[in-house]
Amino acid sequence: MIQVGLLTEVQKDELQGQWYAPDSYFNPIQDVNDNWIISQEEMQQNVNPSFDWVRDLPLIPYEPKPTPPPFK
Amino acid sequence: MANSNGWGDGASNNNIGWGKGADNAIGWGSIQADSWAGATDIVGTPAVDPDAQAFITAAAITDPTQQSAINTLVTNLKGYNIWTKMKALYPFVGGTSSTHKFNLKDPRNLDAAFRLVFNGGWTHSSTGATPNGTNAYADTKLNPLLTLSQNSTHISFYSRTNTDGNTSDIGLKSTGSGYTMIQAKYSNVFTAHVNEFYVFADHSSNTNGQGFYVGNRTGASVRNNWKNGSKVHTSSSPSQTQANFNFFVGALNNAGPASAYSNRQCAFASIGDGLTDAESANFYTAVQAFQTTLNRNV
Repeated sequence: MIQVGLLTEVQKDELQGQWYAPDSYFNPIQDVNDNWIISQEEMQQNVNPSFDWVRDLPLIPYEPKPTPPPFK
Repeated sequence: MANSNGWGDGASNNNIGWGKGADNAIGWGSIQADSWAGATDIVGTPAVDPDAQAFITAAAITDPTQQSAINTLVTNLKGYNIWTKMKALYPFVGGTSSTHKFNLKDPRNLDAAFRLVFNGGWTHSSTGATPNGTNAYADTKLNPLLTLSQNSTHISFYSRTNTDGNTSDIGLKSTGSGYTMIQAKYSNVFTAHVNEFYVFADHSSNTNGQGFYVGNRTGASVRNNWKNGSKVHTSSSPSQTQANFNFFVGALNNAGPASAYSNRQCAFASIGDGLTDAESANFYTAVQAFQTTLNRNV
C-alpha cells in the first residue's frame, strides 16, 4: 500500500502553487475520503525552506478516488 | 614540412591533411573545400547542429555521450524531414528536473516555449522521468487549439515501464469529451485517440507496456496508432474540435484538473503535426537510436 502525507486544509492552501524542488511544484490532491494529501516524493525531495514541515507529515495509506470516465 | 599543429601543410609529405597552411585557422569542423590537399576526403568531427547545441547549452548537458545522442537525434529528425513537424520534443536527458524540462524544439525556459512544469511526485534519473501514479503530472503549456490542426496531429510517449493501468501517459480532454491521449497498456490493450471521442473498443492488444507509442491523425476520418515503428491500429473515427487546454505528460488534463495518473517512466515524448506512415516508421528509428546510445532502450 502506498503511503502519502496527510495535510490539513490550511496546510493544503499553503502548499498549492509553491515549489518543492527546482522546476517542481506541490500538488495536493484529495483521496477517496476527501483527505488532502501529498506524495512521499514531495515530502522527501522538498528543498524549499518555507515548507520544511512537510517532512514531518503523518503518513496514511493512499486510497485514490475512482478515476473519472471514461477511464473506469 | 609539417606544421607545428602536427596536421600538415599540404606539402609533398602530406597528401591527406587537415591544415590549410602554416597559420592554419581551420578547425575540425571545416568543410572539405577548405582543406589544403585536394584529395582530402576526411573532414574531421562533424559540427554540432545549432538546434542541438541550443538545447545542450540551455539544459547544461555536459556528458559527451548525451551531447552526441542529442545531436544525432536532431540530425536524424531533420534528415527524415520530421523536425519541422514537431512542436514539442522532450528527450528527458540529463537526469534532473532542470534538464528534463526543456523542449528540444525550442529550449527557452519559458511557458511559450512549451517547457515542462513538473507537479506532484516525480523521480528523475538518467533513464527518464517517472511519475508516481498518485499525483504527478507535467504541464507542457502546449494548447492544441492554439498550436495544432484538428486533422493533423500526433503525440508520442516512450514508456520504460511494463505496467497495466487505467491511466493516461500523455493527453488531454476537451469540455465536449474529445480526447487526445495515449494509454500504453490497460487491460492488455494500447489505446490512443487524437481529437475524437473515447471509444475503448477502438484499440489494439498489447501485452507489454514498454515501448514507443504514437497516436497520429492525418485526416478528418484517419487516425492510426503505432508501437515501435509498426502500425498496430487504424481507425476512421471522425475528428472533433481540439481541446482548449494544455497537454499533460504523466496524466490526463481532464478539462482542467489532472486525473488518470500514470506510473510509467517516460524517456521521450512529443507533440506535433500528423505524420505519414514513412515518417512514423522513421520517427521510431530515430528515437530508438537515441535511446540505444543512452543505453536505456526497451
